[in-house]
Amino acid sequence: MPKGVTESTASAKAEAVDSTRIKKLQSKLKDPFFWSDWLVVIAFIAVIAFFGAIAPESFLTLYNLNNILVAASIPAIIAVGQTFTVATAGIDLSVSSTMTFGAVIFGLGFTNGWPIWQCAIFSTIAGLIVGLLNGLIIAKRKINDFIVTLGMLSVAAGAALVLSDGRPRQIISEPLATLAIGDVAHVPYLMFIAIGIVVVAHFTLFNTRFGTHVLATGGDPDAARAMGISIVKIKVAVYSISGALAGFAAMLTISRIGAAEPAANTAILLNSVAAVVLGGVSLFGGRGTIFGPFVATLLLQSLTNGLTVIGVAAYYQYLSIGVVVILSAALVRTDK
Amino acid sequence: MKSNRILTSAIAVAVTCGLVFAGTAQSQAAGKKLKDIRIAAVVKGLDNPFFIGIKEGIEETALKYGIKANVQAAPGLNDDIGQANKLDSLAGQNFDCYIVIPISSNNLSQGIGKITKKGKAVINIDSPVDAASLRAAGGKITSFAGTDNKAAGKAGGESMVKLIGSGKKIGLIAGLAGNVTSNARIDGFKLGAAGSTFVGPVNADWDTTKALDAANAMLVANPDIAGFFAANDQMAQGIARAVAAAKKNIPVYGVDGIADALKEVKAGTITATISQYPYVMGKMGVEACIIAAQGGKVPAQTITPYYVIDKSNIDKALRNTSTRGYFPNQSPPGAYKNPYTKLIKKN
Repeated sequence: MPKGVTESTASAKAEAVDSTRIKKLQSKLKDPFFWSDWLVVIAFIAVIAFFGAIAPESFLTLYNLNNILVAASIPAIIAVGQTFTVATAGIDLSVSSTMTFGAVIFGLGFTNGWPIWQCAIFSTIAGLIVGLLNGLIIAKRKINDFIVTLGMLSVAAGAALVLSDGRPRQIISEPLATLAIGDVAHVPYLMFIAIGIVVVAHFTLFNTRFGTHVLATGGDPDAARAMGISIVKIKVAVYSISGALAGFAAMLTISRIGAAEPAANTAILLNSVAAVVLGGVSLFGGRGTIFGPFVATLLLQSLTNGLTVIGVAAYYQYLSIGVVVILSAALVRTDK
Repeated sequence: MKSNRILTSAIAVAVTCGLVFAGTAQSQAAGKKLKDIRIAAVVKGLDNPFFIGIKEGIEETALKYGIKANVQAAPGLNDDIGQANKLDSLAGQNFDCYIVIPISSNNLSQGIGKITKKGKAVINIDSPVDAASLRAAGGKITSFAGTDNKAAGKAGGESMVKLIGSGKKIGLIAGLAGNVTSNARIDGFKLGAAGSTFVGPVNADWDTTKALDAANAMLVANPDIAGFFAANDQMAQGIARAVAAAKKNIPVYGVDGIADALKEVKAGTITATISQYPYVMGKMGVEACIIAAQGGKVPAQTITPYYVIDKSNIDKALRNTSTRGYFPNQSPPGAYKNPYTKLIKKN
């Protein structure tokens, strides 16, 4: 009976496919990398569920979820830049003052009567130049990333103070304010910008030759060099990306607080490093996603928001956020 | 002390959670009963004792009136966005009134705009919110309670002239160049000590060591200096060291009334400090909030007290600690104007 034979082979085939699928899933579940990629998502859902259960009427409102998205937008953009530098086994500690420097440049342009878009381009270029310098010094002089960007943290902060004479510049602009508070279907404009950058960054890291070279540089610089990848070019590129994104984010910050402040906000730096680590990017380079740090940023902002909403006293917030960061980092640790 | 604070926080959390569970069916209209009032406050970074004083003032006053207060602080000294996020998180909740101290004069304006649109009152204490940015965001401040730095400086000038006589030479040490607070204090002092000759002001960036160096240089160039005024207490501490090293016996004045300066006033190394009262600012903020929540008419602006603390009243100031004992010199040693207290309905 040919019919029965075909049927049985078909079902056997299906079974075989099923069992390989299960095996694949099993091996996936055993793979620590799988967990490091997804743990942050699970943690994020857990945080939302936790606060949602405690304070459904204040935490799970559209208004509040919108708040979390607004709060996460700028840190998410900075975290994307940080991911690129960490993927090459580097780190950009200068992001917070690069952002301040960009903001001051924006403020100078605005006071001179430039249109907003022009100010934004100049602040992005200002950030790019800071990043370019970082990359050139690190790669050409072969100095540790940590030291160079730590120095640049101070240099950019100083430059911002010098150029602004230490004074904030008020920036009142209708389109900028709309950018900061507007939304489409409760998703803020700022988050659309952040998601756009995340998508482009994801594509760049995983679907272009440049992205492959970035990961190769971080994974094994000697092998990368042997393959003919220019470490100098890659380093300069990743720090320029980080700097330019910080310079661009400066405009979004100005849109939210209505002024170009000359004082650096180091919280944004700590946030980006925490997000990158929680997002499963290896600090030793060569491994990472853009999606992970993005979700980690959402996680961190939900946590701060949730603790505020349920009324946890300020002192305890520092404590709880620190504990969650260390705990999650310990769980997603995949580096030997 | 510590366990007390933990207990209070635990109670605060429990109460807040309880309220949330109880639902938000309560009416939001003005004219609330005292015990039903809930207020939220967003202050500056708690790495500065001044803002801990404000926080204590808010919490203890709320406790005294039996109302609920959720006090949040900026995550860091310069974290202007983090502070804005905190206000945004609280703005969506069912608080009757909000107390704010913006890190920069602009960073909370958008959040205040959101609160104003919901028809809730916002009380601004200590550092004023910029009027133009507030207008742009559609926000409204119901009442402001803060210090008049110029008047505080003037009181110092008058006090020093009383001590050394008029027409003498006085050294001035200012904070950061271009800082509004520093300028107001120095200008006020000059006004109060009109008729004296002034050396400086030299900018010592609010820093003790820089003030010490500056005072040394001024003493060398002008051995006839009869007194020093610094725009804050930390700098006055530096000057006091320079004066002692030069074996001079001339008065040194500071501003703020921080704990260390009070100790030096007691020891006699600093002559006087024009003290401000963060605790009272927090208290006035809560009282203004209660009036607004009860539907009363809130005074639009109040100057919080300042007081010259010198040998004559230092003992009283040191004894005058907050209930939890953390903050010395909690409230002025004498009477001060508080237009809010009498407007609160005790129901």
